[in-house]
Amino acid sequence: MRVVHLALVPFLLMGGMARAQDFLSCQLAPGWTQSEAVHPYTADNLYDYKDGGAEGYLIYGFAGMKSLNCKSGENTLTIDVSEMNDADSAYGLFATNRDPRVPIAKIGMGGQVQAQSASYAKGKYYVEIVLNAADPNSDHAAELTALVNKMAQRMEGRVTPPEALAWFPTEDLSSTGVVPQSVLGLKELKRGYVAKYKQGQAFIVAEETPASAAAVMKVLRQKYDGASDAKVGDEAFQAKAPYLDGICIFRKGRTLGGYANLPTAPEAAAQAVKLAARIP
Amino acid sequence: MLPVVGAGSSLGILNLSAQTPAGNTGSPLKLSYKTLGKTGLKVTSVGMGCMITSDPSVVTRAADLGITYFDTARGYQHGNNERMVGAALGSKRKQVVLSTKTEARDKAGMAKELDTSLSELKTDFVDVWYLHGKSNPSEVHDDMIEALQLAKQQGKARFVGISTHSNQQTLIPWMVQKGVFDVVLSAFNFSMDPAVEQAIDAAAKTGMGVVAMKVMAGGARNQKPGQTLLSALKWVTNHPSVATTIPSMTDMAQLDENVQAMGSTLTAEDHRVLATHLKMIEAEYCRMCGKCEGSCAQGLPVADVLRYVTYADGYGEFALGRERFLQMASEHVSAHCENCPECTVQCPFGVQVQKRMKRAQELFA
Repeated sequence: MRVVHLALVPFLLMGGMARAQDFLSCQLAPGWTQSEAVHPYTADNLYDYKDGGAEGYLIYGFAGMKSLNCKSGENTLTIDVSEMNDADSAYGLFATNRDPRVPIAKIGMGGQVQAQSASYAKGKYYVEIVLNAADPNSDHAAELTALVNKMAQRMEGRVTPPEALAWFPTEDLSSTGVVPQSVLGLKELKRGYVAKYKQGQAFIVAEETPASAAAVMKVLRQKYDGASDAKVGDEAFQAKAPYLDGICIFRKGRTLGGYANLPTAPEAAAQAVKLAARIP
Repeated sequence: MLPVVGAGSSLGILNLSAQTPAGNTGSPLKLSYKTLGKTGLKVTSVGMGCMITSDPSVVTRAADLGITYFDTARGYQHGNNERMVGAALGSKRKQVVLSTKTEARDKAGMAKELDTSLSELKTDFVDVWYLHGKSNPSEVHDDMIEALQLAKQQGKARFVGISTHSNQQTLIPWMVQKGVFDVVLSAFNFSMDPAVEQAIDAAAKTGMGVVAMKVMAGGARNQKPGQTLLSALKWVTNHPSVATTIPSMTDMAQLDENVQAMGSTLTAEDHRVLATHLKMIEAEYCRMCGKCEGSCAQGLPVADVLRYVTYADGYGEFALGRERFLQMASEHVSAHCENCPECTVQCPFGVQVQKRMKRAQELFA
């Protein structure tokens, strides 16, 4: 029932994932053995595996996945290694799936380990591990921590989160992430980075050139009646916007940034000044 | 609790320009409503799939515009999506039909997931609770059905169902026969096997509510919004057996575009657009309907081979295609379609089977 699409970006599944044998092995977890052949998935047949959840991968630039099943007694372990188009996308998928109540551990670019699951991103890879234990209350965090550290050591790729995430002011910061499409729910802000705060949110979108960024600014400003100039970056406006409350959007070179969901536009502008100062 | 509308399909009028976040000067919006089978729930013919929505403002605005069906799942973004949807709907929760899904495979696990879903969605009940992503009756165990029924008895789920992406022609009739499912959430679009449509029609006639997803899938999957996608959406919203649909939306522009499909009749131009798209894909791309199975004179697994050649031609994955091809039985790997004077395989969708099989043999054998 699947119809394939030529418009999808060709990917490097076999080239990139050919090295997967180095880190995709049940033997990295003492006492575990491989229970079946590694299953490869592509953008076309990911629906066969992540039925109902495939879109969540595809929107982040999914290139391919290899899935490994291991067993130890009655316990089973599923290790899914997804290769994304770039490291920022891998981190983005990790960030959107992570449990916000659990701190991010230093595993690759970032990871989380819980009693029966683990995830992390390193380079273009996003790794998910689920341990199905006969005892649903058993805690395997130490075992999973050892496994993901071994896997991460064998993987190539970046070990730092996207650079832009460090530009967000840290006061009252709740979480950061990568939005693959339509930042703030606005199609003009195609792909970028978002920081959630106790109150409001900030964003950063990198355009190709200052001119293209300026063009986006022009379109955005026209959306909001009553928008007024703000003194941030190279150009900026502030407004009271439906659903986004007090907003301020600025351009600094080819980078767009701003704040939204603050009580008033001037408050958004004041925060935007701080963000703009941190953008190189 | 829900929008007050008349029985069956009906229209409501909302001024989109007054609601737009971006100062659009759109014309008054026609909201069309249908009844979700015997559940009696009134739903807009276009609902909202929240799976890939990242900004809650899009969900909130969809509710403000009058969309009344919102779909999420426990597994989306590992639970983060439910939390976002719950926060975005806020006080509007009881004005909409809210569905979620569980991937748990036993009674206790399902009960635990439902409680978590209710907590994250900030609600005491969901309107529809689905088993997530089933393709075969064998995947649905008795204790899972018991968990669904228990949730209804406890008032945690008003109605229950199954979401399915494949093998609907087998699963949906089985659901009807079981008599315990109120709703089916099925991949369904203009490019599908007629057997799926027959199964959906039959289910709807028994009163099962039908929610369509992947309405822009098949030949239009992964395309950016445009005429083909709008026509595809109109095709399904105009389908008499479908109550609502849940296209994914990530921004206000998509929301506006999809909402405009409500109340729009399928025009001759829409038919032309969809037919053109089908024509474009039909000669090469297998839809995995399985009807070619057993029809090759040389006994070749035709659908599999077509899939392998698609890996190479469609995605540039020559190595993967070749790997799969060479894993076939040796007599299949060494077979040559050119030895047959005439191909015995007739694809109901017009795929040029012999040409594609030869292509696979040239590439991989």
